[in-house]
Amino acid sequence: MDFNFDIIGGYLPLFLRGTLYTVGFSIASIILGSIFGLGIGFGRMLKSPLWRWPFLAYINFFRGTPLYVQILIVHFGLVPAFFGSTNALISGVVALSLNSAAYTAEIFRAGIQSVDPGQREAALSLGMTGRQSMRFVVLPQAVKRMVPAFGNEFIVLVKDSSLLALVAAPEIMYWSNTMKGQYMRIWEPYLTAAVIYFVLTYSLSKLLSYIERRI
Amino acid sequence: MKSRNKWVMSALVAMLVVIIAGCGSDNASSGSNGETVVKFASDATYAPMEYMDKDTIKGFDIDFIDAVMKEAGMKYEVVNTGWDTMLESVKQGTEYQAGLSAVSITDDRKQTYDFSVPYFESTNMIMVKEGSDIKSALDLKEKTVAVQTATTADELMSKIMGVGNTKLKRFDSNAVAMMELDNGGADAVVADIAIVREYIKNNPNMKLVGITDTPNFGSEYYGILYPKGSELKAKLDPAIQKVVDNGKYEEIYKKWFGEAPDLTNLKNAQ
Repeated sequence: MDFNFDIIGGYLPLFLRGTLYTVGFSIASIILGSIFGLGIGFGRMLKSPLWRWPFLAYINFFRGTPLYVQILIVHFGLVPAFFGSTNALISGVVALSLNSAAYTAEIFRAGIQSVDPGQREAALSLGMTGRQSMRFVVLPQAVKRMVPAFGNEFIVLVKDSSLLALVAAPEIMYWSNTMKGQYMRIWEPYLTAAVIYFVLTYSLSKLLSYIERRI
Repeated sequence: MKSRNKWVMSALVAMLVVIIAGCGSDNASSGSNGETVVKFASDATYAPMEYMDKDTIKGFDIDFIDAVMKEAGMKYEVVNTGWDTMLESVKQGTEYQAGLSAVSITDDRKQTYDFSVPYFESTNMIMVKEGSDIKSALDLKEKTVAVQTATTADELMSKIMGVGNTKLKRFDSNAVAMMELDNGGADAVVADIAIVREYIKNNPNMKLVGITDTPNFGSEYYGILYPKGSELKAKLDPAIQKVVDNGKYEEIYKKWFGEAPDLTNLKNAQ
């Protein structure tokens, strides 16, 4: 296979700039998605089926439809409705956060429900309020169990951000497509993108396993 | 238990190897009487040049290649493979011997492929909303412009605005680029004249205007894509020229674009 490093060299500054966008999209969506997901996760665990329903519907919608379509809906529907015109940066963060929240909600729920009910009962019998038992007894144990699942979710999110090239967000895959269009070669742009994504996700997984060991 | 797992694993690996080996089998096709069939790969998502009508491939390029292959007296087949597969398989040249997909001829691409003589002059048009201050291609320099990736419009605007300019937004398809204009994310769309005209005609309530700028938009030409060193080029180039000269080309052009082509530039380029 002939592999032309010269054309990669020409695109390297663009790939680097794209990497910054990918990292930005990922960090913003991981933070916003986790906060939002925590809320959805608690809503999902409400006792009353009537109150629980909207959260369940949210999770089912975002897990059950393609992110590809969600990005288009956010970019051409949601964002113009609020901001007057399309903006790839806003729609990128919004679409990824909304999507990720559905998955993190389930991770939160699984983590919390995996803690033995006896723990909560014990906390309550010691005179803690329901809120206190959640904050000081259940969550610290639950979070530790959630870390590997979060690691998975965040790595998937970083790679999912490549779909934002669809709305011309100038991230890694966008420049890869541009390079492919100019030279009509597929291996140079795609493999370059793959290497960059690997570096990003591998660093992320190292970071997460460090966190896992520390808590 | 351990040894049974080992057997299962080996069986799985063996299956995988068989599947992969199967994929590599040579697909160079030949007709029933041993006559070779030229297989063209195409990305049929670019109406009216090539597109899928249910399960059949149609378009200007398809009618054109039919005329060319009849002229050359060769059997052929056009398959909708998608863009990436077309690029790689034509580069390899084993299963598909050529690509037919409104591919614009550029020097960057000639590093990797051979091209036929130009067979189509692509004229690009700027589409803006009514009342826009954009009057020519040069006005686009400071504006946000939406194009379809890898089209002649992309090529032209990359030259005018710079490849790395993020105000030049590249989309998978012209349809999405036009949605970006509708929603205020771009000041203009640059695309093939036939596509812009069709869109303006179909969406009268959007109050869109088309602007041509021949002096600033240099001519761009489509060519058939061959692997480097292909022998097909020598066989098909005369047939292409024949089809352009004998009026058959004009007939096909009228069928798809509703008007007679101006062949002056194309003939000069050939």
